Amino acid sequence: MEALTALFAGFETALTPLNLLWALVGVTLGTLVGVLPGIGPALTVALLLPVTAKLPPVSAFIMFAGIYYGGMFGGSTTSILLNTPGESSSIITALEGNKMARRGRAAAALATAAIGSFVAGTIGTMLLTFAAPAIAEIAVQIPPSAKFALILLAFVTVSATFGASPLRGLTSLFLGLAVGLIGTDLQSGQARFTLGRPELLDGIEFVTVVIGLFAIGETLYVASRLRKGSPSVIKLAGNARMNREDWRRSWKPWLRGTGLGFPFGAIPAGGAEIPTFLSYSLERRLTKHPEEFGKGAIEGVAGPEAANNAAAAGVLVPLLTLGLPTSATAAILLAAFQQYGLQPGPLLFVTNADLVWGLIASLYIGNVMLLALNLPLAPVWARLLLIPRPFLYAGILVFSTVGVYSLNNSVFDLLLLALFGVIGYGMRRFDFPVTPAIIGVILGPTAESQFRTALQQSNGDFGIFARQPLTAFILIIVALALILPPVLRARAARRAR
Amino acid sequence: MPDVPPSVHPDAPPTSPAGRRGVSVPDLLVALGVTGLGVALLIGTLQIPFGINAVVGPRVFPLIVSVGMTVLGALLTVNALRGERAEPAAEEDTDPNAPVNLGAAGIILGGFLLGAVLLPTLGFVLGTALMYFTVALAFGERRWGLMLLVSLALALVTYEVFTRGLGLTLPPGVLRGII
Repeated sequence: MEALTALFAGFETALTPLNLLWALVGVTLGTLVGVLPGIGPALTVALLLPVTAKLPPVSAFIMFAGIYYGGMFGGSTTSILLNTPGESSSIITALEGNKMARRGRAAAALATAAIGSFVAGTIGTMLLTFAAPAIAEIAVQIPPSAKFALILLAFVTVSATFGASPLRGLTSLFLGLAVGLIGTDLQSGQARFTLGRPELLDGIEFVTVVIGLFAIGETLYVASRLRKGSPSVIKLAGNARMNREDWRRSWKPWLRGTGLGFPFGAIPAGGAEIPTFLSYSLERRLTKHPEEFGKGAIEGVAGPEAANNAAAAGVLVPLLTLGLPTSATAAILLAAFQQYGLQPGPLLFVTNADLVWGLIASLYIGNVMLLALNLPLAPVWARLLLIPRPFLYAGILVFSTVGVYSLNNSVFDLLLLALFGVIGYGMRRFDFPVTPAIIGVILGPTAESQFRTALQQSNGDFGIFARQPLTAFILIIVALALILPPVLRARAARRAR
Repeated sequence: MPDVPPSVHPDAPPTSPAGRRGVSVPDLLVALGVTGLGVALLIGTLQIPFGINAVVGPRVFPLIVSVGMTVLGALLTVNALRGERAEPAAEEDTDPNAPVNLGAAGIILGGFLLGAVLLPTLGFVLGTALMYFTVALAFGERRWGLMLLVSLALALVTYEVFTRGLGLTLPPGVLRGII
């Protein structure tokens, strides 16, 4: 019940006219960037960070939360009408939803995606409301060595366990860790890897890395392999809406998708892909219309879309209670907290209760706004897909420049931005995932500081990592997460031969 | 790794008539680059002085990172030598079968670097307008008048919004006093 009292206080913060306005700005921007190719919620929050430095933290986070949820809603529009998933968790929606749209059922596909996202987002936010304070209470007692082990777990699950190639994921992570090392060591004051340049003494701003890898890298890569001719966008006549039959076939997949998505988001095991795939195969097994699957079955859109949004709510649990991001956007939200001098984690619920609960309350409000924005306005969002690509990508590049240049008004930062853009191009060309590098840059310094604090408390005895029971337990899971997938893959390959 | 037909990799060397896939040179170079970066980090790590009075000095963590990077690079190199090749990412606006046009990427990068270096002198508006123009050019836009107009208008609006609306300081450059 304590959670409810706190939540009501949060609504008092979030329901002020100004904060409602910021929530509206956030969900609108979020939907916009979800719809537009080449730009996602992670990049948008990173771009806005320097610009929002003068806002009060609560308002900024209410806007960021709107962008986070809005990106999920907008992504389904692109998947359904253009058949091009912006992120791997929208692959299923693109598969099944685009087939529906081609059969003339675009309105129903968009509606079941939007209403399913609303249902999943709202239930997910409720689960977050009650789970987060309980976990935060336990998390206060976690020692530094176990915190380090938890960060390792996030590193391994984000980069090695679920990607196509663990080796490439880990390489990306280590690239991020290496970038995070640059600058003055906070504990000893030693300069590290600065190559004698005074600009590097403060380290490289993660905003530069994120914008370079995402925006500049994407622009360069798309330019080099541009799809010729205009994209085939499916025409949408009227609002997104469903008939009685669609409702009857959608509501159970929404609930099942939510049930699958939230826990996968909440355990530090990375990503919304797995639950969307699971939800899809579950719905295919349970459906009364198996012949429609692969040709545009509404269950195949409703379930995965709900799973996707429930996972997004779940990701906020480890982020807010442990300070552990398991997606690129969560990592940037973590960095945003740090920019305001706040450290997400158990203490945040005590020291900044109004901020945390204002943020959680705004998630409920944002979900309602998103539903209102997406059902009647679906045709408007669909038109955005027709923006000419030369002007779209030119705009992305210029806003990226503003974002990075306004950090320090320094040309050196822009040159770094170009460097990370080239690296981002190479990562796309050579199949290295970008998210592990982002997590590495943002979480690497925290990992190092917990590692050293743990060793200082044990007077340099590395045995602390084996003797502290919780730490040892997490480290065993880390080892299994590293070793098991390749072993299983090798066995499967041998059997197939 | 799934076998990828060579047609997906227009820049990879053609496979030999016998059907055996050769080593992909770009993949090998990337793997060697990662290894080289690991070694460079290791050399850099050894130049970090030991901390004083610290149980764990500022060297330990960089040592772990650089050794890890070197090992990962070596593993990537082994895989590349065994014929593994990366599959280029598929993005929303890309066509996996389109011929690779590195010139377009080069134009964007060149325009960006030129705009960045000239930005303090020319000012924010003209610098970013230059960048905007080159990206549109690289993406195949050829309506010159429209490009010029949109570049300048967008750069100007961005400048006004960010300096007046959000209170950022951006250099006016040669347009000082006019805008």
